[in-house]
Amino acid sequence: MSVVPMTNNTVEIEPPVSLWRDAWHRLRRNRLAVFGLAVVVILAFTAVFGPYLTPYDFLSQDLNSRNMAPSLTHFFGTDDLGRDVFSRVIYGTRTAFLVAIVVTFIAVLIGVTLGALAGFFGGWLDRIVMWLTDMTMSIPNLLLVVVINASLKTPIASWMESRYLATLNPFYRETIWVDFLLVFGSMALISWPPYARLVRAQVLSIRSRPYITAAQALGLTNRIILMRYVVPNALGPLIVAVSAGLGTAMVLESAFSFLGVGVNPPTPSWGNMISDGLRVWQHYPHLLAAPAAVLGLASVAFSFLGDGLNDALNPRGAK
Amino acid sequence: MMMASDIRPEPTPKARERLLDVKGLTIEIETRNGPATIVDGIDLHVDKGETLGIVGESGCGKSLTMLSMMRLLPNKIRVTKGEANFGGRDLQKMSNADLRKVRGGEVGFIFQDPMTSLNPVMRIGQQLAEPLIYHRGMTKAEARKRAGELLKLVGIPGAEDRLDAYPHELSGGMRQRVMIAIGLACNPQLLIADEPTTALDVTIQAQIVDLVKELRDKLGMSVVWITHDLALIAGLVDRINVLYAGTVVEDAPVDALFDNPSHPYTQGLLASIPKLTDERSTRLSSIGGTPPEPGRRPKGCPFAPRCPLAEQVCHERVPSLEGVGQAGAHRVACFVAQRKLEAA
Ligand SMILES: Nc1ncnc2c1ncn2[C@@H]1O[C@H](COP(=O)(O)OP(=O)(O)OP(=O)(O)O)[C@@H](O)[C@H]1O
Ligand code: SF4
Ligand SMILES: [Mg+2]
Repeated sequence: MSVVPMTNNTVEIEPPVSLWRDAWHRLRRNRLAVFGLAVVVILAFTAVFGPYLTPYDFLSQDLNSRNMAPSLTHFFGTDDLGRDVFSRVIYGTRTAFLVAIVVTFIAVLIGVTLGALAGFFGGWLDRIVMWLTDMTMSIPNLLLVVVINASLKTPIASWMESRYLATLNPFYRETIWVDFLLVFGSMALISWPPYARLVRAQVLSIRSRPYITAAQALGLTNRIILMRYVVPNALGPLIVAVSAGLGTAMVLESAFSFLGVGVNPPTPSWGNMISDGLRVWQHYPHLLAAPAAVLGLASVAFSFLGDGLNDALNPRGAK
Repeated sequence: MMMASDIRPEPTPKARERLLDVKGLTIEIETRNGPATIVDGIDLHVDKGETLGIVGESGCGKSLTMLSMMRLLPNKIRVTKGEANFGGRDLQKMSNADLRKVRGGEVGFIFQDPMTSLNPVMRIGQQLAEPLIYHRGMTKAEARKRAGELLKLVGIPGAEDRLDAYPHELSGGMRQRVMIAIGLACNPQLLIADEPTTALDVTIQAQIVDLVKELRDKLGMSVVWITHDLALIAGLVDRINVLYAGTVVEDAPVDALFDNPSHPYTQGLLASIPKLTDERSTRLSSIGGTPPEPGRRPKGCPFAPRCPLAEQVCHERVPSLEGVGQAGAHRVACFVAQRKLEAA
């Protein structure tokens, strides 16, 4: 059988620490990964608590102090409406994490389910899933998102409007979550195929490992084997992919905002701040520089962390 | 000593009852050049309470035969002919749901490699509990308690404390004991041990053999023990089947086989025992050549290309397994051996 033995050593070896603690030790020795982890932790903290600690409200306008350069009162200056850019970047961190987490969560859910089923059962199920994956990947991402937004935004908005007029329920007045739903939904829709491919490949390799045959020889059902034997063993590479995927999702949101299909103002997102800043960058470079720098930092941090996790979880690949 | 086999009493002759009866099982593998036969119409049987040893070189199809009975073959390898009756029911035709009850519930497996046959991310207590919950309908608490007892049964020190260990926290010998415990969890009628000791060092091998012997006598089950190592199992098994290139070439009570090996391959196997014990080599140094590859089986006797006694007929016809001892208890598939014994 095509089996990679965990160890060729036949003498008694007793690794003193668990797989995960081992991985943690290796991660800590990787400087870039530690840097990435530190930045991610700080950003996550900012996303959760930042909005309560900002010097200004992200919406409060001060028309007497518009487009001000960075100073001690406004660390990142102010924008064309006199809003504090530092506060908006901080609030944007929350948006970025919200987008990244929700999108990645949905994409992983779809990808893991389809990939695991395809890899485990093979046959026609595999062919359908692979076809879906290839189809999705062959459609240009931005095109798909623009089409979804253009075709769904207006009908949903007008439906909401009509519901509001009919019921006077203020719920239907709130359109922000519709924007979010569309942004999240369309981003997840283009983000799941890599997860499906990864998990399918993992499952294909795990399926031929002896412990799977051993589980089948115990008479366990396919469902139990899939949930308790296959999926947990495929988790390592998935964690790595998710870490990198979170960064990618943040960048993706900016790309969408730039095209005007991202998170809508006035909710601050790094993406819509960058896209606003781009229009005036010759005059007020700080409006572009501040959100772009933070986005760049976040994306680099996630990718360092992902690489570090990859090395840490593959002891054979790491030095 | 010639007739030692005939003196040895059959295990309680009247109570002999077939537990496992494999008839004409043929296994083929899908290759680039079409299907190739790996196991060619094999016949095997195990009686209730009997321990059968299966020996043969690496790659002769020992593992695949056992896996195929339980329909556990990997992709691209399948059974094309034959039946495998267990307790009177053909496992090859059984529904998946019924088969799952037999797997683990009535037939326990111990696999070749304790390093890779346990789920690395599941605590061993849970791996032991899984079949108990599934086959015996135990609650989690009951299963955990029984898992602790099983670990004690297979001689793991500090059994209960080990329930929460992950496989990599145990040594190879301990892991193999865990595998045995899992195989025994549901008190199976048949335990299939596929070279359960090859990955272990010599003293632990002997301990494992003694353990299985003790448990077999205590629990009254049948055992099929697969090995390269005839010497290791001499004291454990009642009967031995020698496999060559996917067929049984000799079937004999253990003493008869050692005293009077009839097939030239068995003779070579016995002659090479000392060499086998001091290195982990699986090649038979006393017999030149290698077994035929799947898809390149000779037309006549599969052993003919390597056989020192081969005659013209050996290259033309396949010898069948025929009785040479009293009551047909000792059977051999070799033209020359059959002729010799008839003449004697
Ligand atoms: N997954 C597989 N894919 C392709 N060929 C296989 C596979 N498993 C086994 N074979 C082939 O089938 C033949 C019989 O294999 P099997 O594992 O039954 O041998 P074995 O007698 O158990 O050997 P060993 O003593 O090494 O365990 C071998 O020639 C092997 O090359
Ligand atoms: S049948 Fe012929 S070739 Fe085969 S083992 Fe006997 S003597 Fe050798
Ligand atoms: Mg084998």
